[in-house]
Amino acid sequence: MIDLALKMLLDEKARFAATVLGVGFAAALVLVQVGIFAGLLQNASITIERLDADLWVASRNAPNIDFGNPFPERYVDRVRSIPGVERADNLIVWYAFVALPTGAKESVEFYGLEDFPAWHFPWDVVSGEPADLRRGRFALLDASAERRFGAFQPGDFREFNGRQLKIIGRTRGALSFTTSPIAFVDYRIAQSLAPADLDGRTTFLLIRLAPGADHETVRAEVRKRLPYNDVYTQDEWAARSRAYWIESTGLGLTLALTVGLGALVGVVIVGQTLYASTTEHLADFGTVKALGGGNRTVFGIIAEQATFAAALGFGLALALTFTLAPLLERLDLKMIVSPMLIALVYAGTQALCLAAASMSFRKVATTDPAIVFRG
Amino acid sequence: MIVLEAHDVSKVYREGPHEVHALRGVSLSVRRGEVLAIEGPSGSGKTTLLSVLGCLLTPTSGRIVVDGRQVDPHRPGQLRELRRHAIGFVFQQFHLFAALTAAENVIYGLNLRGWTGEKARREAERVLGAVGLGERMDFRPRDLSGGQRQRVAVARALAGPSSLILADEPTGNLDGESGARVLDLFRSLARSEGRALVIVTHDPRVRTIADRVVTIRDGRITHEELEN
Repeated sequence: MIDLALKMLLDEKARFAATVLGVGFAAALVLVQVGIFAGLLQNASITIERLDADLWVASRNAPNIDFGNPFPERYVDRVRSIPGVERADNLIVWYAFVALPTGAKESVEFYGLEDFPAWHFPWDVVSGEPADLRRGRFALLDASAERRFGAFQPGDFREFNGRQLKIIGRTRGALSFTTSPIAFVDYRIAQSLAPADLDGRTTFLLIRLAPGADHETVRAEVRKRLPYNDVYTQDEWAARSRAYWIESTGLGLTLALTVGLGALVGVVIVGQTLYASTTEHLADFGTVKALGGGNRTVFGIIAEQATFAAALGFGLALALTFTLAPLLERLDLKMIVSPMLIALVYAGTQALCLAAASMSFRKVATTDPAIVFRG
Repeated sequence: MIVLEAHDVSKVYREGPHEVHALRGVSLSVRRGEVLAIEGPSGSGKTTLLSVLGCLLTPTSGRIVVDGRQVDPHRPGQLRELRRHAIGFVFQQFHLFAALTAAENVIYGLNLRGWTGEKARREAERVLGAVGLGERMDFRPRDLSGGQRQRVAVARALAGPSSLILADEPTGNLDGESGARVLDLFRSLARSEGRALVIVTHDPRVRTIADRVVTIRDGRITHEELEN
């Protein structure tokens, strides 16, 4: 079979290249934007997902993990005695200012736990031992802090809210949505960094269930014993933290606009070029009809051109996106392009290109095959 | 054997409140192996008649029979079917696909007729050989002369089983020598392949190959004469 659609498309290389570039950049825009958005959202909940806790207790109406309100730390005792609870500990998530060697100050978000290894946290330790944090005024600092704090080495000292802590190692991938670097310190050290707010107080309770324990039964008991707190499963708490940033920052709307604009640009480019090409080839389509082809045949030609341009454009978009990924990583901007996102954007690209092609369908549907007899 | 019959065919176009009678009660028939030339001044209805005979336009009234099958204007599928299997077209502007080679142009027409693969390839080689373009099969239309392009168009019309070839001013865009060559080709192919050939033309040379010539004026056949 002669593939007329493809041969017509490739016969006009400049127009075809413009179409593929247009689709490619539009699809790349969507992939990169959604990928960065997914990366930012992952930052918003990555510590929740990496902490090995089944239930989280937070102050009433705490919007996310970054903005917890302190409550009495002794509440943990009420939880530890609940049947089905294997382990329960206090977790402090709070902010401090770090004095830099330059004299400037930067904020840091610190996580305070009594026993980090018990919660398999932090999860990617480049150097140092989390178990050593409880041995003194020590901190583990995430490598991403170098962008804000400048270079640091294990053994360096930094002032956190005016108190000197020794950096004993570095972690990787611990980022927050707020872009403040994350530090890990012992629970008591954490309290000492902000005594006015945290003395005798914590911001979260972590609960790990015993094997076979029922989430809902334990949660109901926790709620009964801590009636002025909220209790979430790990997934609920992660979703709540992400939703806060999506809604409060307008990020969701911005993303929807970007995706919409990307899609619109793609549709306009493909639609315009296909329509122009169709108009120029009306005599060809008339000939196809005169030779016995029907509207379905000519629709098929245009649709095949659209899907081919979409496939090549999407390939270009993927190449652009994955070329950009390491550059973004150097800026500590995480981009998550999952197989699901790739599949969705590919399907969307195909659908939109076909929709754009449909603008030309009407033109050829009304083409009189007798056009071939006109000079 | 009669390949094409038109009985009392009329075609009326409506342009706003006005009616334009492009054809008025045209009747004619063409036999296998016969060459019929249709002459007439511009606007006389020649092209409309060719479009109606070629099932590209439906007549307002009258009856068309192609290859023994009566054309039903209310069945677009049947019109397509007849165009695909019973009728071959040759156009003044050639209407070859610029993106395809000569062979591919012929094969694409055959593909629409359901011929594929080696069968289509062999038929394309046969007809292109018959029109003297066996050495130019892989050339694109832009690399061929006007006469060669028209011969590719003739080959496309001849490829496959079509019993009726309709040609619209086939020499209109050709120089004298190329035009004469195409007409010779028509004559010999109509005879050797037993196709019925209807040629709409202004070119007086067509008379030299036509078995009959009809003249059309104001949508009516005004004159019919036997030639060769």
